[in-house]
Amino acid sequence: MSDTLGTGSGPDGKAKATVAPGQGECRPSIEAERQPGWAVSRHLRQTGLPLLSVAVILAFWEGAAQLGLFDASTIPPPSRVLSTVWELQTLGFPRGSSLLTHMGSTLGRVAAGYALAAVLGIPLGMLIGRSLRASRMVLPIVTFARSVATLSLLPLAVLWFGVGEESKVFLITYGCFWVLLTNVIDGAKNVDPALIRAALMLDTSPRAMFYRVILPSALPYIFSGLRLALGLGFMVIVGVELIGTSIGLGALISQARTFYRMDLVFAGMVAIALFGLLIALGLSWLERLLLPWARESK
Amino acid sequence: MQSPRVERVTEAVANAGSARPKIEILQVSKQFPAEDPARGLAVSNVSLTVGQNEFVSLLGRSGCGKTTLLNMIAGLVAPTQGQIAIDGKPVRGPGPDRGMVFQSSALFPWLTAIDNIEFGLVNRGVPKVERRRHAQDLISLVQLSGFESKYPRELSGGMQQRVAIARALALDPEILLMDEPFGALDELTRAEMQDELLAIWQKRTKTVVFVTHSISEAIFLSDRVIVMSPHPGRIREQIVIDVPRPRQRASVQFAQFYETIQRAIE
Amino acid sequence: MNRRLASLDSWLGVTIFLAVWQALSALGLLDPRIIPSPIAVVAGTASHLTLAQFLGDVEASLFRVMAGFLIASVLGVVLGVASGWYPLVGDLLRAPIDLLRPIPPLAWIPAALIWFGLGEPSKVFVISLGAFFPAFTNTLAGMRKIDRDILNAARMMGLSGWRLLYRVAVPAIEPDILTGLRIAWSLSFGVLVAAELIASQSGLGNLIVRARELGQIDLVVFGILAIGITTLLTDFIIAQFFFRFRLRWYVKATTAGLAGTRER
Repeated sequence: MSDTLGTGSGPDGKAKATVAPGQGECRPSIEAERQPGWAVSRHLRQTGLPLLSVAVILAFWEGAAQLGLFDASTIPPPSRVLSTVWELQTLGFPRGSSLLTHMGSTLGRVAAGYALAAVLGIPLGMLIGRSLRASRMVLPIVTFARSVATLSLLPLAVLWFGVGEESKVFLITYGCFWVLLTNVIDGAKNVDPALIRAALMLDTSPRAMFYRVILPSALPYIFSGLRLALGLGFMVIVGVELIGTSIGLGALISQARTFYRMDLVFAGMVAIALFGLLIALGLSWLERLLLPWARESK
Repeated sequence: MQSPRVERVTEAVANAGSARPKIEILQVSKQFPAEDPARGLAVSNVSLTVGQNEFVSLLGRSGCGKTTLLNMIAGLVAPTQGQIAIDGKPVRGPGPDRGMVFQSSALFPWLTAIDNIEFGLVNRGVPKVERRRHAQDLISLVQLSGFESKYPRELSGGMQQRVAIARALALDPEILLMDEPFGALDELTRAEMQDELLAIWQKRTKTVVFVTHSISEAIFLSDRVIVMSPHPGRIREQIVIDVPRPRQRASVQFAQFYETIQRAIE
Repeated sequence: MNRRLASLDSWLGVTIFLAVWQALSALGLLDPRIIPSPIAVVAGTASHLTLAQFLGDVEASLFRVMAGFLIASVLGVVLGVASGWYPLVGDLLRAPIDLLRPIPPLAWIPAALIWFGLGEPSKVFVISLGAFFPAFTNTLAGMRKIDRDILNAARMMGLSGWRLLYRVAVPAIEPDILTGLRIAWSLSFGVLVAAELIASQSGLGNLIVRARELGQIDLVVFGILAIGITTLLTDFIIAQFFFRFRLRWYVKATTAGLAGTRER
């Protein structure tokens, strides 16, 4: 989910509506089709092998650390990371700030910035996208604003909003906003003209045209924008928290580093990964729920 | 006016009569993995021989296993039971002794028309000059002179299929396998392509196995039409079209064949 | 709706944006200590920054991005192709990669600093981590949607194994690889800036840090713009290179329209 910063563009420079599918079935190779018995083992292999590979990696990691093959303080073994997660939750780091406190604080910032970006970006994008002229005029500005590395704005954000929460929320909003805006504009632009003509023949009012034709057909684009933006927001917050704050997952791993507590760094990263995974899953679940018709046919 | 000859195919092998068999299919079945094995049975106990230089069509509704059967002749899909042989030698995989044309044209989009035609010749290590000359001959055979350096997506559907046919002919295979090659074309282009295919077939004698779901296409082109039925895929009947070419699409005889085949499908 | 008119509109948009910004500053509606006017940015930059300094920063940043990007794209494309071609490789790699993917590349910075210290290797490491995933994901997605008929057609012409892979599968997914590399490239810059803000003595990110410490807001704004322009410009060069030399068929197909020329 975090693999797109700024541009989600295809080779033709246009914004891509979909993120590359991370999940889904592996396409069986053609060679494999010709081996008898392949079909039977296919299911087993597709679920068994991934589990096996993770188990093997973890076992090697743990075993090598136990045998002292590398310095356990720079690469803490999985067992150590787990116990640190527990210690982090009960004792806290800095003392008193539990893992859940850090997670809650990060989540709050992302949620605020993300929501603000959505509230601003979706209506504005729909408006711009329905006007060819307007979308052409804003295109270079949007493209450039998207290419500006969000974190480079940090000094300005601090200047404008101080070192508190506002500057963090601003940066997340900035990061999310442009990606979302691009996708919403594309969605509003790419409504099939045949649909609009069909609706006109059915005596559709301008208002109904927007809410019942244009908006629904732009929704898949909006959703993919929301998904890209969330990944980006998450990336921005970690970066922002690394720099100047004491609470939050980014701050946690940054401070852990200054104390050379690699186990804490890893524990924090595990929490971040978990977070990202859950949010991505939640969003794709929501998308399936709201957009059953847009599901890709196999 | 003779009425169409219909052979019932039950246990017997659908055979080509006196001509020497080019392709022999013996009691072939194909079972695809599926939750319900009955649904996964694409081809069930099919036997068929195709004679040298014969033009045979496989006709039927979708799901009757005609494409699977063709892919098995091609060697792209292995049968679960039975044997397929070409010139008496069992098919072990895909190979350049058979040329294939797909419905989607399957041209390489990153190669120009002429480079597509040369693709197989490159594999064979034919020198560039000879390659080009050979490909030029094919370009004029399929009447595409002037479009050599166009990319597939710059060509119309009909032109793409001409390139695909030329590409399949480039390695001079004795067998041409065609999987609904004109299925995506409009009616007028389709008729044109059928005429041209027959002209090519008569110039460069080939054994052709042609998959289609168009009854009139099958009558117009084939020496013999194999009617298949779905679930599981079986040969139901075969109809010999013993009418000299060129055939008249609007003749009474044509209509009689049409009706016979239609009844065979139902 | 011709191209001329479209680019005219684009220039108009940029001009209006800059004019409004300048006008608001001139009218005193924007505090120059908080956001300097466009003219002030140019003037201030000219007096605070020498060309040699600036080029030095650009060079340092580009070197880091290129090093990280090259490592990541080679690894990402090779592993993506292998995962798509050999089901065994795909099944083995899928889980570890899916588990690492949700970690934003910036979250690796503290670990990288411990492992590799404050120097170049830690930055290159983090950048390559960030760039790897889009390169890998897009390559794999391309492999998964290769037209089977195209592979079958090539196999009928006697290709198999390695030759089938590099003469058919790889050319077929080149547009997807380019997409992945372009996303990876942009992402590399985002990661780079963070890394340079946190620990660096050079580079465009560090330029911003230095300017802020000296209270030169105009230079801060210039630094931000410079990073954006560098990203866009280099991305443009990469894309043009591909379109000109490798993907002419793809460009022609999309600009000529898929319908193509009519039959005679």
